[in-house]
Amino acid sequence: MRALDAGLIICGECHRLHRRSAAHLHCQRCGARLHARRPHSIARTWALLLAAAILYIPANLLPIMSVNFLGNGAPATIMGGVIELIHAGMLPIASVVFIASILVPSFKLCGLVLLLYSVQRYQRLSPRQRILMYRFIEWIGRWSMLDIFVIAILVALVRFGNLASIEAGPGAAAFALVVVLTMLAATSFDPRLIWDNTDTDADHD
Amino acid sequence: MPSSPAPSTTDLQDVPLSSLLACHECDLLLRHVDLPLEHKACCPRCGYELQTHRAHMSRRALALVLTALLLYIPANFLPIMQLDLLGQRSEDTVWSAVLALYQSEMVFIAVLVFLCSMAIPLLKLLCQLWVLLAITLRRGQRPALQVYRLYHHLREWGMLEVYLMGILVAIVKLADLADLHLGAGMACFIALLLAQVWLEVSMSPHQVWDALEDAHARA
Repeated sequence: MRALDAGLIICGECHRLHRRSAAHLHCQRCGARLHARRPHSIARTWALLLAAAILYIPANLLPIMSVNFLGNGAPATIMGGVIELIHAGMLPIASVVFIASILVPSFKLCGLVLLLYSVQRYQRLSPRQRILMYRFIEWIGRWSMLDIFVIAILVALVRFGNLASIEAGPGAAAFALVVVLTMLAATSFDPRLIWDNTDTDADHD
Repeated sequence: MPSSPAPSTTDLQDVPLSSLLACHECDLLLRHVDLPLEHKACCPRCGYELQTHRAHMSRRALALVLTALLLYIPANFLPIMQLDLLGQRSEDTVWSAVLALYQSEMVFIAVLVFLCSMAIPLLKLLCQLWVLLAITLRRGQRPALQVYRLYHHLREWGMLEVYLMGILVAIVKLADLADLHLGAGMACFIALLLAQVWLEVSMSPHQVWDALEDAHARA
């Protein structure tokens, strides 16, 4: 049985239970506004996701950093950096960067679209599979910041004037925005919606 | 430990709210049980970890918060590594990385890196310190409730562990380009990260909310 069906609302911030009534608009413990479900969850998530998807294009096409070595500047995109690492024979680190900056953002975008679609339409995935996917997306989101931190450290460390220097490129800003927007999208999605449109009381023991 | 089954009675109006519990992630209604120490309750339907009962929560957490705060300054301002290239030397600290980005006119990224690696981790620790002091000293619970709400909003935006991974990737990238030495800042940074992760594990949210509410009701 859902708490909602029992006329109970759970505070979104401190998880205290409240009886559903006009008198209780705010949590009695922490003062947060009470909502049965996160307000406009689907619309907000779609909006953030769409913005992230659009920025995903410049993030991958524009150079995220350029390495100047003895006067020769070489701008590199995200994929370019991964390929360079592979050529240098550093496969483990290449795969870490590849997973964090290419696989994870794409997976997040596709995964959230799939979750939204499954909540709005009929779905084939079971709620349990979808909640696992949601938790994975929520947990992995921050790891995409990896490339941004690497750039920050390299820019600070490799500062030898004309001899060698590293500069961040415009792609990095776009990529950072993609990460922030997908993280916000994951937070605004309400996982309870996954269980709302499935009759799954039989699903638990 | 599995949680108790959902209440099946239809007249829930008479059941006190304190004996009920709802899963935050799937809204399943459950009956509340008092957990023994170091046990956790998980939602039987979606597997979400509902509650964990930690022993000596506030004392242990307070010690860890103070440790983390002591480590914060050396971790952020001592050099993490040094790079020697043809007689020139450059140093990297968490703060100098922010400055370098700012000076190369990538203001947006500089601000973002500053927030995720320095400002928010510090703010989180200060929030936790405030809340734990309010619990220990039994005063100021009302503002502490708001501070703890703020902490939960900041939570996933502090990214120390991702930053450490970034340091490792940078080390591998630079290792054969030039002479690289690790500095004292690296050790402090790892120690800060460990203290912070341990703190997050031991500071169980439902115990904090309950402690703040109890004191709040008594006052």
